[in-house]
Amino acid sequence: MKQGSQLWAGLHCPALPLMAVWQLSAIAGPLAVHDSVRGQARLLQVNALARQHGARSGQSLSQALAVLPQLQSRPRCRRAESRMLDQMALIAYQHSHQVSLAPPDTVLLEVGGSRRLRGGLGPLLDRLRDEALGAGLQLRIGLAPAASAACLLARYDRKAGDLTAMQQAIGELAIEHLMLKPNQRKAVHDCGLRRVSELIALPRAERARRFGTTLNRHLDELHGDLSTPLAQWHPPEAFELRLELPVPTARSDALMFVFNRALDTLGRWLEVRDQGLNRLNVRLEREDGGPASAFDIGLARPGFDQDRLLELIQLKLDGLRLAGDIDAIKLDADSTAERRPAQSDLLDGTNRSDAWPALLDRLSARLGESGLSSLAPTADHRPEHAWTWVPPGTSSPCQDSRPRPSWLLPAPRPCRREHLVLEDGPERIESGWWDGQDCLRDYWIARDGKGRQLWVFQEHQPRHGWFIHGLFG
Amino acid sequence: MPSSQPSSSLNALLNQRSDLWRGRRRPQARALSSGRADLDRWLPDQGWPTGRLIELMPACFGLGELGLLLPVMARQTRSAQPVILIAPPWIPCPQRLARAGVALDQLIVVRDTRHAFWAAEQGLKSGLCGLVMLWPPRGRVPERSVRRLQLAAEKGQAPAFVCYRPDQSAPPSLAALRLAIHSGPTLEVLRGNAQHSERFHLGRSNVIAWPGVRHTPRSISAAVSDDSAVSIARP
Repeated sequence: MKQGSQLWAGLHCPALPLMAVWQLSAIAGPLAVHDSVRGQARLLQVNALARQHGARSGQSLSQALAVLPQLQSRPRCRRAESRMLDQMALIAYQHSHQVSLAPPDTVLLEVGGSRRLRGGLGPLLDRLRDEALGAGLQLRIGLAPAASAACLLARYDRKAGDLTAMQQAIGELAIEHLMLKPNQRKAVHDCGLRRVSELIALPRAERARRFGTTLNRHLDELHGDLSTPLAQWHPPEAFELRLELPVPTARSDALMFVFNRALDTLGRWLEVRDQGLNRLNVRLEREDGGPASAFDIGLARPGFDQDRLLELIQLKLDGLRLAGDIDAIKLDADSTAERRPAQSDLLDGTNRSDAWPALLDRLSARLGESGLSSLAPTADHRPEHAWTWVPPGTSSPCQDSRPRPSWLLPAPRPCRREHLVLEDGPERIESGWWDGQDCLRDYWIARDGKGRQLWVFQEHQPRHGWFIHGLFG
Repeated sequence: MPSSQPSSSLNALLNQRSDLWRGRRRPQARALSSGRADLDRWLPDQGWPTGRLIELMPACFGLGELGLLLPVMARQTRSAQPVILIAPPWIPCPQRLARAGVALDQLIVVRDTRHAFWAAEQGLKSGLCGLVMLWPPRGRVPERSVRRLQLAAEKGQAPAFVCYRPDQSAPPSLAALRLAIHSGPTLEVLRGNAQHSERFHLGRSNVIAWPGVRHTPRSISAAVSDDSAVSIARP
């Protein structure tokens, strides 16, 4: 694609380190994240409440705790940050075919091609902002024809639609805003340069001699003269998500809140991969390190319906006895399949073909997969082996036309011949010599004292006697 | 008669409301043909009422409570309306069901008895099922569960059967029809739109030699919209 037709949006999350360690910071209170600088714990970021009470980023942790004893701080976690960045990229990937990460806290996406997708750039950017907010991330968005400029402008929430506006916006930035190495920054500052425009105004050779060739290259990229090398981001092959609860709890409404968040992300992942969910594995991790509870949810038809999944999770949670408070949930989409869109009935508008699997899912979520079955005949002469439980909805042909009762007892029950009046029969069944359960029986239709019609047999081999095997009725 | 004209149209109007209490003469409820002409004639609603509970009270299990429903199960499953049997006392024989014309892939058996009422309620509430039949688990039948079931039944168009154990008594309910099955086997209306004095003999034909599979699904006999059915005054 030509440089001129491209337009890049940079999504910058300023509070990413804080958000990454305090994922669902629903709890009110002063929060902070600290990092170790030369062996000393220093605050990296603080939330609004902590700032109000005097905590500042850059303070040492001990100093901050002296100012604000109730401050809660966690060490910085770069892995959590990169997971969060992946989540941001997933949001971006829904709106663009070209997404790149600009670690540690920015995601770039090409929006020039997606301009018409949501009816203009404004709605598109609003939507990105809303979706990120839904995932708990407050964004600053920059816009520029060059990727590195978009990345830089995103930090200051500035948008430049064309090349001249971009060059002007970059020129207005102070030198401190450029991401320079400390010694480079000092050298530039010592030359008396304050604005980027002044730096650009210097001759190239002069710049290279004073500050090194890398600066020239960086400025060229910012200026749009040189394209920025970018690695394309792609959604991960497998879905795995671990979310920590703000407060460890066993209450199901608090857990459902977290599940809702998690399903948002799962839904996004499925959408960009154009896949439907088959089975979801859920692990609930205990705060006290006890054995984790786990359950899985199978769907009768691959798909993704957030409300329905939430309902199934609720049913599973109701049936679960939690031995302790849960502090994290872990989800992985065990298997996925090609997505088929839901079809609705032409005449009455109802979605029957989708509602029936939904009902089966709901039933099996509570009853367990063995609690719900269909019946199928199997090819065996012995009536007790001639049927089997199968998963619901399995179709099975049946050609047997011999008289069979409506009910079969789970196992033949001995009975006394004197109480029966034989009405019809016999049907001889001699079978099973191949698996050591051979039998020789004469089946009769008989009537008992209560007027019921029974299916009884007289066995000659291996036992002798009369047995009830079923009931007509 | 000039005065009969408006009153009959008023009757027709009132008959459309199945939830309206009209003294001893209740309106004709929507009903689904039972699949046997003689049984349809005998049943108070000319078939199995839909959207209401139907209670079966057999003197003992195995007197024909499943055989009675095979024709309607066959018809519903063949028109892709699934049938759910919940907590049956024994195993329904697939060969017998298939021979009666039941499409086995549309038949679901709930084997877990713990959540039997809940499962029945879900099935009825969904409005997707062609028939739901529940055998309440052992012990006293909670009145509240039956009432919930009744409410769920009103949401769908499926006949909802509850088959009580011989040692269970039915709680007071709003069931449209309550049938006793005596040994013989014979049917007796314990509760319904019209009180029959004579019993219905199920006969041998119901239990063994079933007429061949009916492939064409028959339409629901909606007695309400049928003018001729309204004019037949039942005692």
